Amino acid sequence: MVFKRLQFYFCGLVLLLVWSAAPAQTQYTVSGTLRDASTREPLIGATAMIAALNKGATTDLQGNYAFSVPEGSYTIQFSYLGYQTISREIAVTKDLELQIALSASENQLQEVVIEAGNLNEKLRTTQMSVENLTTREAKLLPALFGEVDLIKVLQLKPGVQSGGEGTSGLYVRGGGADQNLFLVDGATVYNASHLFGFFSIFNPDAVHSVDLYKGGFPAQYGGRLSSVVDINMREGNKQHYVTSGGIGLIASRVTVEGPIQKNRSSFLLSGRRTYFDVFTRKYNDINEGKKDFDPIPDYYFYDFNGKASFEIGEKDKLFFTGYFGNDVFGFQSPSGFNFDFKWGNKVGALRWNHQFSPKFFTNTTVSVSDYQYNITNKVANRSFNLGSSIRDYSFRSDSDLLLDSAHTLKFGASATHHNFGVGRLSGGTSDGTVAFNSEVAHTGTEFGVYISDDFNVNSRLALNYGVRLSGFAKDTSVFFGLEPRFSARYNLTESLSLKGSYTRMVQYVHLVTNSGASLPTDVWYPSNNIVKPQLSNQVAVGVTKLFGQGRFLFSNEVYYKWMNRQIDFRDGAQLFVNPNLDQEFIFGKGYSYGSEFYFEKKTGKTTGWLGYTLSWTNRKFPDINQGKIFPTRFDRRHDVTFVVLHQLNKRLNLTGSWVYGTGSSYSVPLGKTVFQDIAYANVQYVPLYPQERNNYRMVAYHRLDLGMVYKLKPKRGESDLTFSIYNVYNRKNPYFIYIDAIENGDETKILGFRAKQVSLFPVIPAVTYNFKF
Amino acid sequence: MLRLNRLFTLILIAFSSAFSGCDMDKEIDLNLPEFESQITVECYLEPGKPYRATITESTSYFGRPEPILVPDATVIITHNGKADTLLFKPGYDSDVRKIYTHFSETVVTGNPGDAYSLEVFDSRGRRVTGFTRFMPTVPLDSVEWSMNDERSISLLAKFTDNGSQEDFYRFTVHQDSLSDQKRTHDFYSNDRLYNGQKYAFGTSYRFSPDDTVFVTLYHLEPQYYVFLNTMDDAQDANGNPFAQPIALKSTVQGGIGVFATLSFDRKRVILK
Repeated sequence: MVFKRLQFYFCGLVLLLVWSAAPAQTQYTVSGTLRDASTREPLIGATAMIAALNKGATTDLQGNYAFSVPEGSYTIQFSYLGYQTISREIAVTKDLELQIALSASENQLQEVVIEAGNLNEKLRTTQMSVENLTTREAKLLPALFGEVDLIKVLQLKPGVQSGGEGTSGLYVRGGGADQNLFLVDGATVYNASHLFGFFSIFNPDAVHSVDLYKGGFPAQYGGRLSSVVDINMREGNKQHYVTSGGIGLIASRVTVEGPIQKNRSSFLLSGRRTYFDVFTRKYNDINEGKKDFDPIPDYYFYDFNGKASFEIGEKDKLFFTGYFGNDVFGFQSPSGFNFDFKWGNKVGALRWNHQFSPKFFTNTTVSVSDYQYNITNKVANRSFNLGSSIRDYSFRSDSDLLLDSAHTLKFGASATHHNFGVGRLSGGTSDGTVAFNSEVAHTGTEFGVYISDDFNVNSRLALNYGVRLSGFAKDTSVFFGLEPRFSARYNLTESLSLKGSYTRMVQYVHLVTNSGASLPTDVWYPSNNIVKPQLSNQVAVGVTKLFGQGRFLFSNEVYYKWMNRQIDFRDGAQLFVNPNLDQEFIFGKGYSYGSEFYFEKKTGKTTGWLGYTLSWTNRKFPDINQGKIFPTRFDRRHDVTFVVLHQLNKRLNLTGSWVYGTGSSYSVPLGKTVFQDIAYANVQYVPLYPQERNNYRMVAYHRLDLGMVYKLKPKRGESDLTFSIYNVYNRKNPYFIYIDAIENGDETKILGFRAKQVSLFPVIPAVTYNFKF
Repeated sequence: MLRLNRLFTLILIAFSSAFSGCDMDKEIDLNLPEFESQITVECYLEPGKPYRATITESTSYFGRPEPILVPDATVIITHNGKADTLLFKPGYDSDVRKIYTHFSETVVTGNPGDAYSLEVFDSRGRRVTGFTRFMPTVPLDSVEWSMNDERSISLLAKFTDNGSQEDFYRFTVHQDSLSDQKRTHDFYSNDRLYNGQKYAFGTSYRFSPDDTVFVTLYHLEPQYYVFLNTMDDAQDANGNPFAQPIALKSTVQGGIGVFATLSFDRKRVILK
């Protein structure tokens, strides 16, 4: 059945190619590479464009671009966010290769200077439902504790919600926290946050750019239902040795980069660590021995990023990317209770880029990704150790082939072998008389092949269509998924385009969590005959309009997403080290729909955007809410983001962001009952939750953040002071609510109950010193 | 077994408090919809003790904190075909510091395998039923203790699990007396990790020389173990942003509550 449908899609694809490949005027290829003039690093996502033909291309991960044009004389424009645009007159009489170096804007606050070319590209491309972000942009915006976080900036885009106050979790168009694919230079990252989501693991100094796909997924992506976060790491300066870093309120970071061989190879090493524990240890030392003093547990995180790039020859490049990071939590009580909890990711990727010709190049990547947590608990003369892990070994090959002026093919294949250490628990007594050991582990292999065609039908109509065949094998079970991808753009006028897309995604690995959030102890679980692959379909239509001579962009997208085989867990589910975990899952459906409005200004001294999302996100499970539809915890009817960046002068930049969201839905108990428990035990009040899931809507969330970047004038290099104020008007936004007992003075009698709302962060000012030399 | 979600909440609150330095709780108005009350049953059968049950009603969360009694409730316990109707006679047992609403003179024999059924009904037509069976007692093999350099003492209670079946346990430690206010430890566990092996429950270094401790190992029925776990989960969900709401899984049908046998082994130890 699957293969018949696959045949149908491929036949359709071939027919389209044949139909459209009718010979016309002789075409020549304009290709080359765009680089930073200072560092020689490739510029990813930059634009090469011939406006007269409305033809162009964006650069790939290596800064390469290629497109076909008929013979003639043209003006070609190269542009990139924060860089001076270059225009060249070219005479195309044969294939042409142009290696271009763009210089950063001469302004000290170059980051805010963004050329209109980027907005034009948003109009021209068939790709919709994508958000692009560079570290340069993110560094200007105010941040919690002054810690710049690219994922949190993505939360300011329409259709993207956070998991809660200050967290870096992503809930994209009604998807869950486990339905996002995080890729770092092509390698999967499983737990992309520190401190339960308060900080993402991506050190901004090591990141070049981030692309977030909310829908209209290109065929090369698969494996998650709701979003793809594709993170491109920096290669490092190919000309000079540079040291940069920052000293902040809770963390400091340092990056060293430079050429290994000038202009041909480079390295970048970056590290970051929090020092919250340094202060808490001092505090504990001062108060040690005091009556009723409970020591504060140790907590810190650190991460290291590294990348090396090598140009082996004219046509071959090699890249190695590495990430290593851990969160460490430790507690020791005077009564002999020792608790150590460590979790983190390790990622390594080796990519080989080979250019067969200016029209045909291939990226081949092998990668390893590992996430694990480990808890060691020692109490007096006994101990236990609990842990879980997932380790992937992956291979993927992605090729781009410029067929002619109308067609660009992308095709490739991928395979990932997963090792799921679902749970591991061991323990015993120090005398050896008690010892126990249990482990639940699985393996599975995920694979996919894809092909897609970017087809410029004419100057108005462009199509991108393709198909991905994915699969998953575990023991004797094999699942296949046929994932058609289609998107189209039609230019009504030179500044107005209509777009539409349809995508299907299949997810073969599932996060075992009943927290509604993504926590370090959540484990990944493979599909099997009971836990079938999750499936989503999404349609979206939109309009994109440029006005004000290309300085302003307006877009609106309406989407509808329906998801099958969504997972939850039965009440009282035992999720730790359970060999029968399959029995704890329950299955249902998900629906999400909404409309996203986006208005952006990217040129001039004042830039920014205004986003508004109207959306509904629901689930339907036979075993929850009596089988009736219910809103998810992250169902948010209205969501507004307003971001402004203003360049006051060459040294001073002011920024502000305001967010508003309908309150999250939440389950609150309606009743209570009293249990005295067995003899010699305590009386307990037990909350009684209604059948209705998420029966209460918390009050709206809103917050204003302000920031200021002041460029200093050091004798050597560059430096700045970045000030930020989080939650300027000290709004006590709800994080969760609970019902609390009201007790008499000596706490011997309960007089009644009251509802309480807990907020996390009040107004928090922060300052960070950044340097580069 | 592990309540890591609670730990995460504590870390988050501690983290935010460290930076905020102020109280981030505030009282709010919560308009809850009408709540339909149900009969709540609590009846534990203990060898050598008479039939005793507590029958109350569940109430709206913001209703009165005291339990609401159900005077017209009829409570019948049946064992070996003999039905005993418990009399409504609310009273307080100061020995165990519990209130009971219904009594009978019949004493529980509590032999392993003995089965009992429960029926509760009232004038409003509400009817609750339950069934329980005595589990064999699992003996404590030993209660050992060790002293650290600060002369604090840690306990270790060992027992051997029966490998032929799935077992569920509750372990409690009381200091000085069996009063509920002297309870220091209370865990429940299934034998998934130690089926058929020797296992140990223990404490931290929290006792002193000459302390008297009571160590009790209960052997639970599966449904009672599930009830205890969901009761914990339901309490945990109130005030834990990482927890899902959990419906209490009662051991009785038609209402809320627990009807369970108590099979246990207890040791009294003086820490010399």
